[in-house]
Amino acid sequence: MSEDGRRRLLIIERAYRGALETQFADVLYLARELNRQQGGTDILLRGLAVTYAAAGARPAPTVVAGGRTVDTLPDPRRSVRTLIEEGAVIWAEEDDIALFGTGPDWLLPGVRRGGPSNPLPAWSTYRGVYFL
Amino acid sequence: MDRRLPRADVLLAIMGPPHISDMVTSAVRLAQALLERGATVHIWTCGHATGLTSAALGDSKPRNVVNWSYDYPSGAALAAELLDAFPDRLSWYSCRFCTEERGSAPHIARIKQRPPFKFTEHLDAVDSALFLGVC
Repeated sequence: MSEDGRRRLLIIERAYRGALETQFADVLYLARELNRQQGGTDILLRGLAVTYAAAGARPAPTVVAGGRTVDTLPDPRRSVRTLIEEGAVIWAEEDDIALFGTGPDWLLPGVRRGGPSNPLPAWSTYRGVYFL
Repeated sequence: MDRRLPRADVLLAIMGPPHISDMVTSAVRLAQALLERGATVHIWTCGHATGLTSAALGDSKPRNVVNWSYDYPSGAALAAELLDAFPDRLSWYSCRFCTEERGSAPHIARIKQRPPFKFTEHLDAVDSALFLGVC
């Protein structure tokens, strides 16, 4: 949080950014570090990135390269859970969630569904808005 | 056709950059699946994809500050894994111009640099060529 108490908003719209070469160092790793530095931040997931906030468990993704199984691919659902535990406020854009035909239990507990009935704070109330 | 090039069933030409999409992941999965089934494969990298096999990457990614002791393989290490596992059926080429332009030199061992003006020889050396992304 900044000196005047206002938080920053991080917006993540793009998913799938290179699982094999990125591994742990994905966009949520950056978000986690910014959340730590800033003592709490708001994060808005849009587009395909709303799937980061899905509650459903899934097998850990792996890729085999030669004789090696790489099991350290990004796990964004787990990362979102960690962010919530560390004090980040996670929003997921309602219109984009709707594209997946999801039910009310689709989102991880603690993730806020942002839309007309539950709008995000106005951007002008944030200290800054950043697209990651 | 250039006599130095072995023939292969498939060329995977990775033209687009890593870290933007899951293209490289798809390329590795495709290469692995083809090689496991006995196919011969050429991989060609252009643009920033030449950096996948830069020797400067070392064997591991930089440390993960929240999982300090865990080893995460670099792109170069994974390329070496593929080449180790299929030494007779996988050849990995990298565009010399892009390698120099993007600062990817030197490459790890077994990566063969080729000038872009010879690229058609690589197309002629395979039965099927897949272009992944654009430079």
